[in-house]
Amino acid sequence: MIKFQNVSKTYNGNVKAVKDVSFNIEAGEFVILIGPSGCGKTSLLRMVNQLETITEGDIVLNGKSVRDFNKIEMRRKMGYVIQSNGLFPNMTIEDNVMIVPNLLGWDKVKKRQRYQYLMDLIGLNPDEYKKRYPHQLSGGQQQRIGVARALAADPPIMLMDEPFGALDPIIRTRLQDEFLQIQREVQKTILFVSHDIDEAVKMGDKIALMRHGELIQYDTPANILLHPRHEFVSEFVGEDRVLKSMSLYTVKDLLESITLDTNVSSTQQTVHEQTTLRNALSVLLSTNSQKIKVVDIEERPIGTLTIDQIEQFLQLKAGQKGA
Amino acid sequence: MSKNKTIAFTVKILFWIAIIVFFIWIFKNDLLIHVYQEPSRFLNLLTQHIIIVLISGSIAILTAIPLGIILTRTKFRKWEWLLVNIVNLGQTIPSLAVLALIMGILGIGMKSAIVGLFLFSLLPILQNTIAGIHSVDEKTLDAAKGMGLTPLQILWKVELPQASYSIFAGIRTSLVINVGTAALAYLIGGGGLGVWIFTGIQLFDNAFLLSGAVPLTILALLVDYLCKGLEFLIVPKGIRLAKQSVTNNN
Repeated sequence: MIKFQNVSKTYNGNVKAVKDVSFNIEAGEFVILIGPSGCGKTSLLRMVNQLETITEGDIVLNGKSVRDFNKIEMRRKMGYVIQSNGLFPNMTIEDNVMIVPNLLGWDKVKKRQRYQYLMDLIGLNPDEYKKRYPHQLSGGQQQRIGVARALAADPPIMLMDEPFGALDPIIRTRLQDEFLQIQREVQKTILFVSHDIDEAVKMGDKIALMRHGELIQYDTPANILLHPRHEFVSEFVGEDRVLKSMSLYTVKDLLESITLDTNVSSTQQTVHEQTTLRNALSVLLSTNSQKIKVVDIEERPIGTLTIDQIEQFLQLKAGQKGA
Repeated sequence: MSKNKTIAFTVKILFWIAIIVFFIWIFKNDLLIHVYQEPSRFLNLLTQHIIIVLISGSIAILTAIPLGIILTRTKFRKWEWLLVNIVNLGQTIPSLAVLALIMGILGIGMKSAIVGLFLFSLLPILQNTIAGIHSVDEKTLDAAKGMGLTPLQILWKVELPQASYSIFAGIRTSLVINVGTAALAYLIGGGGLGVWIFTGIQLFDNAFLLSGAVPLTILALLVDYLCKGLEFLIVPKGIRLAKQSVTNNN
């Protein structure tokens, strides 16, 4: 759906912010652009909606170069969320959320329904916030409104520039979870800039890791963590990359390849099968016994899990190319 | 905090007592006598004064705001420094000298007074328009652009509403100063309440002086209140509330 073809960006004649980047994003994919600051990830994002011009190469949307689109019309078909939300202080929450539908001249009934739907989606009461102003909301609420505003005209593509970067960790985690929930419902093609590898692993279908304007590795989170193709990748994701990769799998995933001992009588600690392996390991390490009991959604015991089995599973995964 | 409030309150009370004493003194000595003895002459001077302020003020508003908007466009930003400095220079020249210069070119009369006061009213509005538009958050502009607003829509829906508070402050300052400076119009034959004030000064006649000065002061206060009222109507509620919450937090 979005094709980056040898994209380069040069500022003021000599500063190369992006160097010859090529990769494809399929429809409905959630792609994270990540890298240290100054790696060109934001420039790359801003070239998609033409806030920055492309110096060399091309970005192709559904077979058509972004350069051939009318900038204004194209931007209205892309949701855009930035770190500091960028809400308009002079407009009410309703006007802020409905800015693009207003520009597109939607009729009143359609706009009202859309507003109700969006506010329900982000979990804020439509009537309560309708006539409020941005400065009367907390940072987390403002950022939710920013997301709703970007989704307002139901654009197929969402561009998000560190949308949760300015929030405190607790609110950030909550908004990430909420946004994943929203994405399951709306199924957008998302390009998401982040500098936080945990966020990238948690949110992305694919991760594009950049350094000094170059694309170092474009792969699934599991491959980035377990099969780094470059020294910089393993450095960037950190020495705990195996631990991080464990949050990609649940106990249920493990059950597919490893059979548990079904004798559960002697174990006390319990985890659900939807628990991530990372959390399961944490529980295992905190108990005195060597094993924990795994139960399914209806609390029926499935079997006992040991550290050895987790290790076995991870080695299995590390052995598979393209997990 | 409460100590400051007490001081502010005391000062306010003293101020009003001073005003009441002042007016008692005026009425006891019949110092506003000309206002009610020559009502038609008074109304004539007052009208002249208002016309001078109104015309010079509105032309200044109609020039300074568009000029401020143009100078904040990316294309013209490099000229901002030059123009603001030129207007600044105009403001540095004493108002009397400006009037004298203009009289030299346009001769005596109300027209010269209007031109002089127009030049004098430009700077506060221009400066506040520019400052107001510059104060709009870059990130907000970026979001507006990224969502597909045209430059004109960004100006109307984002920049001007957010700058309106500052622009109005400029208009208020400019008009209030204008009301006072318009008294100098008398010196170049422009009429207005300055006629009685300067007559009073020249004849050491308090009655003439105050018959001009008191209505002039009241006019300035009225203009100030009127601007505040307009500001309440025009500045978007969200901006007003945001400003208030900032002030309250400090």
